[in-house]
Amino acid sequence: MAVLEKSRKVVAESLIGQRIPKMDAPEKASGKTRYIHDLDLSGQLHARILRSARIHARIKSIDTRAAKALPGVHVVLTAADLPDQRPIGVAKDHFPLKGEVVRSQRDEIAAVAAESVEIAEAALKLIRVEYEDLPVVADARAAIAPGAPLIHPPRQGAPAGAAVAYTGRPDNVAMRFDYSHGDVIQAEADSDVVIEDSFKLHYVTHCCMGVSGVIAEFDASGYLTLYSNTQVPFLHKREFAEYLNMDPARIRIIQPPIGGGFGSKLDVYPFEVICVFLARAAQRPVKLVFTREEEFLASPTRQPVLLTLRSGCKKDGTLTFRTVHTLHDNGAYTSWGATTPFVMMQTFSSLYRVPHCDYHTTAVYTNNPYAGSFRGYGNLQATFAIEQHMDMLADAIGMDPLAFRLKNAQESGEVTGQGMVFKSCGFKDCLTTAATRSDYVVKRAAYRARQKDAGAVKRGIGMASMLHVGGGAKIYPSDGCGTMLKMDDFGALTLITGASEIGQGSETVLAQLVCEELGLPISAVTVVNNDTDITPWDVGVHASRTTFIAGNSAIGAAKKAKAKILAAAARKYECAEETLDLKGGFIVRKESDEALIELAKFIRGLHFSDKAELVMTTFYYEPPSVHQDKGFKGDVSATYAWATQVVEVEVDTATGIVSMTHVTGAHDVGRVLNRLGLEGQIEGGVIMGQGYALTENLMVEDGRIRNPNFRDYKLVTAPEIPAMDVSFIESMDGEGPQGAKGVGEAPAICIAAATANAIENATGVRLFELPFTPEKVYRALHGQTEKLYWAPWKPE
Amino acid sequence: MNQGIERYLAPQSLDQALFALQELGEVTLLAGGTDLMPQAKAGRAKFKRTLMNLRGIPELKGVSREGNTLRLGALATITELLHDPLVGEHLPVLREACDHFASDQIRNAATLGGNINNASPAGDTLVPLLVLDAEVELASRPDEAIYRRRMPLSEFFVGPGKTRRAPAELLSAVLVPCPAPGHVARFYKFGARPALDISTISIGLAGVRKNGHLENVRVAFGAVAATPLRALATEEALEGRQLDAQTIARVAATARQEVQPIDDLRASAWYRQELVHNMLTRMLEHVAQN
Repeated sequence: MAVLEKSRKVVAESLIGQRIPKMDAPEKASGKTRYIHDLDLSGQLHARILRSARIHARIKSIDTRAAKALPGVHVVLTAADLPDQRPIGVAKDHFPLKGEVVRSQRDEIAAVAAESVEIAEAALKLIRVEYEDLPVVADARAAIAPGAPLIHPPRQGAPAGAAVAYTGRPDNVAMRFDYSHGDVIQAEADSDVVIEDSFKLHYVTHCCMGVSGVIAEFDASGYLTLYSNTQVPFLHKREFAEYLNMDPARIRIIQPPIGGGFGSKLDVYPFEVICVFLARAAQRPVKLVFTREEEFLASPTRQPVLLTLRSGCKKDGTLTFRTVHTLHDNGAYTSWGATTPFVMMQTFSSLYRVPHCDYHTTAVYTNNPYAGSFRGYGNLQATFAIEQHMDMLADAIGMDPLAFRLKNAQESGEVTGQGMVFKSCGFKDCLTTAATRSDYVVKRAAYRARQKDAGAVKRGIGMASMLHVGGGAKIYPSDGCGTMLKMDDFGALTLITGASEIGQGSETVLAQLVCEELGLPISAVTVVNNDTDITPWDVGVHASRTTFIAGNSAIGAAKKAKAKILAAAARKYECAEETLDLKGGFIVRKESDEALIELAKFIRGLHFSDKAELVMTTFYYEPPSVHQDKGFKGDVSATYAWATQVVEVEVDTATGIVSMTHVTGAHDVGRVLNRLGLEGQIEGGVIMGQGYALTENLMVEDGRIRNPNFRDYKLVTAPEIPAMDVSFIESMDGEGPQGAKGVGEAPAICIAAATANAIENATGVRLFELPFTPEKVYRALHGQTEKLYWAPWKPE
Repeated sequence: MNQGIERYLAPQSLDQALFALQELGEVTLLAGGTDLMPQAKAGRAKFKRTLMNLRGIPELKGVSREGNTLRLGALATITELLHDPLVGEHLPVLREACDHFASDQIRNAATLGGNINNASPAGDTLVPLLVLDAEVELASRPDEAIYRRRMPLSEFFVGPGKTRRAPAELLSAVLVPCPAPGHVARFYKFGARPALDISTISIGLAGVRKNGHLENVRVAFGAVAATPLRALATEEALEGRQLDAQTIARVAATARQEVQPIDDLRASAWYRQELVHNMLTRMLEHVAQN
């Protein structure tokens, strides 16, 4: 920005669409960021947790005497010490410390707070536990078999309406979801082609660079401060209050910078409650940080799914119906993974125009690790099935798969069977852009023709698309976010927002939106966003909502500040407010951009005047979305994001190695706000999707995790990352901040599905089971794989 | 994790080190630490009462040429081997294995002697050294003088983590004859990803090319048995035979029969056999065409 000398004309570019480095980048790149791992409080003790040595067993006895006697040990806790423990989790089906039965490898039996981590470790080794083994249910299909051992058997004497932890369950069913629109039976009769296949989605985990950790401290008045990596601080205040029998107002949550979230920190986990118990008992601050192995063993996974999809269409390419049954392996306890059907059914019912759709999920208890929320929230699993069937249906009627998708793609103005309203929809632009830029149609035909050519290495191209919420998701009573904004005497802003930063770049985008309104450079802003005693309420960082919801909230506060400044300026310069504007750090005349006064100087004048005013504003934004009804129908998001991704692969048929060479993506982002941040978000998501498709696999055998380390759990490394070509479709959403939509989850969703289609294009072999690791692909290519089939099942 | 260590020694000469070894017997040897430390942390290796850090011993360092033999010091790091001009000129197949060895950070610390003494069936430098007819030099000091004995690398390994090195001996160097003119060698490592992986199988192949066939053939495999091993039946099937499609098919089939891999976390035995067959075929075709 600049002020031209003669005309006093202010010249300043819009910040929207610029490439703006993340505000926290210098601190992180120089190693100065203080993560929870770097924080130590005066007088702090260190905690470790003893986990089960068995997968499913009754605890006969726990002997902690030797551990308690070890010098340096302050507190040893077991369930017996905590008669007031309350059940935690989404279904309130387990206690933080398990006293009677362990149901999975991660189960917490005892906890130690000691002078050092080493002493706490040594103390754990001194705790003696006697078990009596119970039969292990290690497969979701086994859990629904007649006579299967019960993971939470019914208990007598619990009061009516009590939580599962008190009542148990008469079967292993944790949750059910049933959704329907139209009449699938009639629609099937009217179809020319009907196909049915089963798909199997595996365990992966978030692999956050920063392992889980928490510090709990009570002050002299009994107030609790939690240093926590939670993604939902305001919801967790309430939850912790319930678990601790405390007043929520006495709980303060401070969020140090986080080393990765990706949905893993949406639930309260046993270790966090246990750490508070230890701090309460020790009367000292207690810090509990996981080891990397523990992070693999005791943090949530992506929801594993077994899914059978039946789809139909007419010869002209019109989709007729879809019927979906899924079996979700819940693990031993219920976390957010069980609720992924909320998102999955949206994809089945509404990604394409499908007039008839039935969707059914049964989430069942097993003795496996329990699944939580993870970027995409079930959408990777749903898209994997649906987008393979789109290719298969197109092939069955002899139609080009791009044309088939375009024929059934949603458009602006559509209201789906599930009641979602697509006010802005760039889906068809996404399809044509990604297809054109990758030369999809020509390459697909050419690669198919070369399947039988000599040479072990085959090339293939595949496409997949996605629909995901882009304007929040109304799950809780409010989906809103609050902002407080203050301007100091020097024209600098403090933006106090409820929205949490988890590395996604929200601070930068929020600062950008506020500066755009107030005509200030981004360097004018300090963002405060990590302390529930300071920041206004926000529902949390999830559902790709922060740019949209917190962005609109920040804009609301900035507009109020601007209105106040311009009203005062209009009085001073004796003109109408509408003729003034803020630009480049000045108050200007709107018509000519002529500078009237430097903003900071004007603000000082306002402050140090007879009226003595400060510019401080607040705003609470609630999106115009609605809760779903009991049939899961309703317009839950203020807008929806769309994307198409085309994946190109090389398949070495002599080894089964699949190399991802190119990804061409087209994303309906509403509008580009921070181009650099957006590119980073998309590229990171693509790589996460690539890991899900090709390399990452948390191996769970008989309830035990076989590879809790980065040697055998294979993340994608730099040489494997494909070349990427990413286009942004700007559909200018009417409700979005400056027209933008949320895209945090979008880029990870399509990759596995598109990869499956690309492998089929290369080799003629279709794979229904993830991940596409070399041996699995090699076996399929050499006819060594049995066709997967799961007969749909519903409880009686 | 460091429990049990009572004494730490950092000898500054081979003589000092061997003297201490002879006196103390039970010693944990530390060079790069890239295998020892993770193993100790995971409880798979226990420290002995004395921890001896070998990195200050100048005699164990560097690469040199002695007549027609290259002498690779036991303390040479993987990074040093990767960039060493003598290795690059005479032992390109070893250089290639170093290029597929873990990550830069690990290569900077890990030593050749450590990789050999760790005796993992999947050790990355072992297979190329086997096909290069490498020998190990073992030094000891039973009295006032230093004794050095040599042993073919192919006889050195006994089982996973077990070798023929006596407790009072140090592996001082690896001796590799400079290959003759016409010598060809290939190395292939299969991992689930191109970097930072433990090999699922690895294959080494060497011989002297003469009139369309190979003589003095050496074939070795990693991660298909308790130790890295020379595949004698496979060598015999290849020795002196015209490198045509028929020979290649027969050699690959022999190799598939000869290896005895196991099922583990990384791969099934069947898949390992398939890889041995398919990749040896690819390597032989590459040799035949070039």
